Amino acid sequence: MPIDRKHLGRRYGPYRFTVGPEQIRDFASATGGGVPGRVFSVAPERAHPWTWDEAAAAASPHGGLVAPPTFAAAFAIQPFANACADPELGVNVLRLVHAEQSFELEAPVRPGDVLETEGEITRIQDRGSLDFLEVTTETRNQRGERVVRGVWTAIIRN
Amino acid sequence: MKRLQDFTVGDTFEAFREVDSYRPIYYAAASGDFNPIHIDPQVGRAAGYSGAILQGMCTFSWLSDACVAYLGDPARLRRIRARFTKPVQVGDVIRFQGRCVALDGPRIALELEATNQRGEEVLKGAVAEGHLGEG
Repeated sequence: MPIDRKHLGRRYGPYRFTVGPEQIRDFASATGGGVPGRVFSVAPERAHPWTWDEAAAAASPHGGLVAPPTFAAAFAIQPFANACADPELGVNVLRLVHAEQSFELEAPVRPGDVLETEGEITRIQDRGSLDFLEVTTETRNQRGERVVRGVWTAIIRN
Repeated sequence: MKRLQDFTVGDTFEAFREVDSYRPIYYAAASGDFNPIHIDPQVGRAAGYSGAILQGMCTFSWLSDACVAYLGDPARLRRIRARFTKPVQVGDVIRFQGRCVALDGPRIALELEATNQRGEEVLKGAVAEGHLGEG
């Protein structure tokens, strides 16, 4: 059943996320060919060293670890995920695929940052056998700086 | 670190990533995306795939990493977008290719492709922009 367009503009959040250095390193490990965690972990040799190697990061212009840009997926996804799981929308998540993604990155994420993400449903479209659901998110840090704006699009096969 | 004068329109770069059998679980642990479609082959099959499929955002991260390696600093990446056009599964090897298509002062534009070992595009319309500032 198509998603009711009355949900356009529905908002989710704010969701708070406190960034730890271990989370940044685990994300770099998982996406950089390593193994995350504290048990049998493996360094991510394919990730940029400033995202996981404390010594290399300390000697960088940033003076410490910075998150990989797509670490945004770990915190900014929440409004999108909650919209997809929202009983009011009635989406069958088994028929849902992530169809499109964009990030506009404005400030790097660092350990200790306290991030708040809010999101809004910005598109609901019924194209016959496919439904499109788009959620736009905005994340700010503890200084009020905009960190990332995300546009998350799902397709639901009816 | 690479400086502004080290970048030229027409530059190309390439990266490869293999989906080893635990990669979707590692990505789930690091990202918090434990959707069963990514970690349980039975759920993947129930959804019409041949098994568990990799989180699209992991493929998207690999795309971003290829750009970051070229740009030289994670903070230089300012925009990135792509459409997910084909599921990525355990055993796949994804080839990422990028090209610098425009330079305007410190602003740089990239066009990107991602294909699997069969030459099928797993992402389409992939583009990125960077800002070649220092730090």
